[in-house]
Amino acid sequence: MKTLAIFTIFVLISGVAFTSSANNAYAQNDPSILLRIATQADKQILNQLDRSYGDSIPSKIQTLYEKGHTSVESLKNSLSDNIEQAREDFLTAMKSFKKITRMISEPIAESKISAYTSTPDRDFSSELDRLEKHVQNLKKISEKHNSEINFEEIDNLINEAHIQIDNRTDNTSEIIDKLKDLIHSIKKEIRESASHGASDRIKQFVDKQLKNIEEKLTRALDAGADETQIDNAHKLIAEIKILISENDIDNAKMVFHDLHKLVKNIVRSVR
Amino acid sequence: MNPQIVPIHRKESLREDGMLFVRTEGILDTMVKLPLLVASMIIVAAVIPIQSSFSSPRVLDLIIYPDGTTHVSSVIDVDPLVTDYELDLFGNTIDNFVVVGEDGFLLNTDVIGNSALIETFGSSVITIEYDIHDLVSKQGRIWTFSLDAPSDFTLLLPKNSVIVGMTNLPINMEIINDQNQLTLSVGDTEIDYLFSTTPIISDPIVSDTLTPQTDYLTYALVGGVVAASIAGIAIVIRSKQKTAKPEQVQQSTQKIETVTAETIFKLKPDLREDDKEIVKFIANNGGQALESELRKKFLQPRTTMWRAVKRLERNGVIVIEKKDLQNLVKLRKDIEEEEEE
Repeated sequence: MKTLAIFTIFVLISGVAFTSSANNAYAQNDPSILLRIATQADKQILNQLDRSYGDSIPSKIQTLYEKGHTSVESLKNSLSDNIEQAREDFLTAMKSFKKITRMISEPIAESKISAYTSTPDRDFSSELDRLEKHVQNLKKISEKHNSEINFEEIDNLINEAHIQIDNRTDNTSEIIDKLKDLIHSIKKEIRESASHGASDRIKQFVDKQLKNIEEKLTRALDAGADETQIDNAHKLIAEIKILISENDIDNAKMVFHDLHKLVKNIVRSVR
Repeated sequence: MNPQIVPIHRKESLREDGMLFVRTEGILDTMVKLPLLVASMIIVAAVIPIQSSFSSPRVLDLIIYPDGTTHVSSVIDVDPLVTDYELDLFGNTIDNFVVVGEDGFLLNTDVIGNSALIETFGSSVITIEYDIHDLVSKQGRIWTFSLDAPSDFTLLLPKNSVIVGMTNLPINMEIINDQNQLTLSVGDTEIDYLFSTTPIISDPIVSDTLTPQTDYLTYALVGGVVAASIAGIAIVIRSKQKTAKPEQVQQSTQKIETVTAETIFKLKPDLREDDKEIVKFIANNGGQALESELRKKFLQPRTTMWRAVKRLERNGVIVIEKKDLQNLVKLRKDIEEEEEE
């Protein structure tokens, strides 16, 4: 029996330790990626230093670079036999390079990327890529809802925008803005079309939930819940049923929210 | 040597004070099934990491565009019994926000500041897509991505970008269409990058000469668990040999059966063409493949592939199992039997 107890405890401890270590194992699929990233950064920093300072690198930056570069060299050795050291080397190198990049970057105030920037460096290509991706999503949703929305105009505008971007013409901005407006109106159409299907789903959901709630109320009443509150809940249920039968989904949703809160309070009161 | 059971009613076995003594050596063997106990312990231990990942985004993929705007794509499990779900967004400058339920239908949303109220109404899985301008800032030539991630996530960096600073360790890195895709862990992440004129080429010397690090601790633990299990089985067999007549152990060799893609297509003629391609690949791969392998093979984003796999699961073509925290997709061997029924 003693052997069995020791064995069971051993299995439990090893099992827990094993599953915890699974996270560590997962945390580094291929350690050589650390060296790949660090080496690329090292080369890039060296290029930057050459470009910015030539042969007269400030001593503070030189020291930081040497620290980073030494860590990359150490990383090459530690990867093969000491993974913990390799991780430390990687972080030391990348933190040193990070400090250098901050020091050598132009002294311009940090700026968040603006949502609707109208500056001359507005990246239309990126904007168009995102809009195209969004349109693809909308097409899939529209198909799902059988909304039969015509995307031809949007597709034409996207093609036109691509041509404008390739030719670097001046009116790309106008086309992109027009495209955004068109997407906005199409999205509205999809929402309207989707609202019919959504109504059916909401009706089904509410029907199912009302049954659950009625059961909960019966149990709460047996457990001594306040009868007035139970009556109020039943009134709300009746109201929801009427609203659903009248297809007034928006109001039904609002009353359902109120009912949900009330039922939570009732259930909490009898616990 | 079977332990001899002494009847407790024997007068001579009673001491003067009248206390009863019962032999307990066999009780554990008869009342508790040791293999069951051991299996339970291992299951409990294995379930711990699964529990810890519950309620966080199942999938979180980020794409940084050259202008610093980030596309967020996320799949989240939600409670199907509640009417809505409040989602914390990663910022408040949001564009192109779309949420669909598991059936692909558009869900109503209300975005206020950096949170979104989503009317889920019975959905158990929602897919969220939006563009955000708050995650990347720029200082001089340096672009900085920062995020406090609620789960592990992938980050696709723009073309020709080079990482020049990083505050934490990446889990993985792949090159997709000349772009670096990092897999990063939950928590704070800050990455500095800049655009280089030199294209990204994985260093062949690095990848050829370096072999993946052997994690001796993991091997030791795996070995320990295996040894413990073998020891346990040996103890059980020995104790059974002592107490009971030797039983003939029937060894059933596991026959690996695979279903051909053609059989599946006959049984499920309504499968989509792209799903058929996935089925063909899995069938040619011995009947199983990791979801990550499928993504690599078909060059699909994580969410798209995940949806395809879930669709095949719903159609009863495949089963999804967890293997090393990854999804292992297997063709169902009983698909023919099920169809006949």
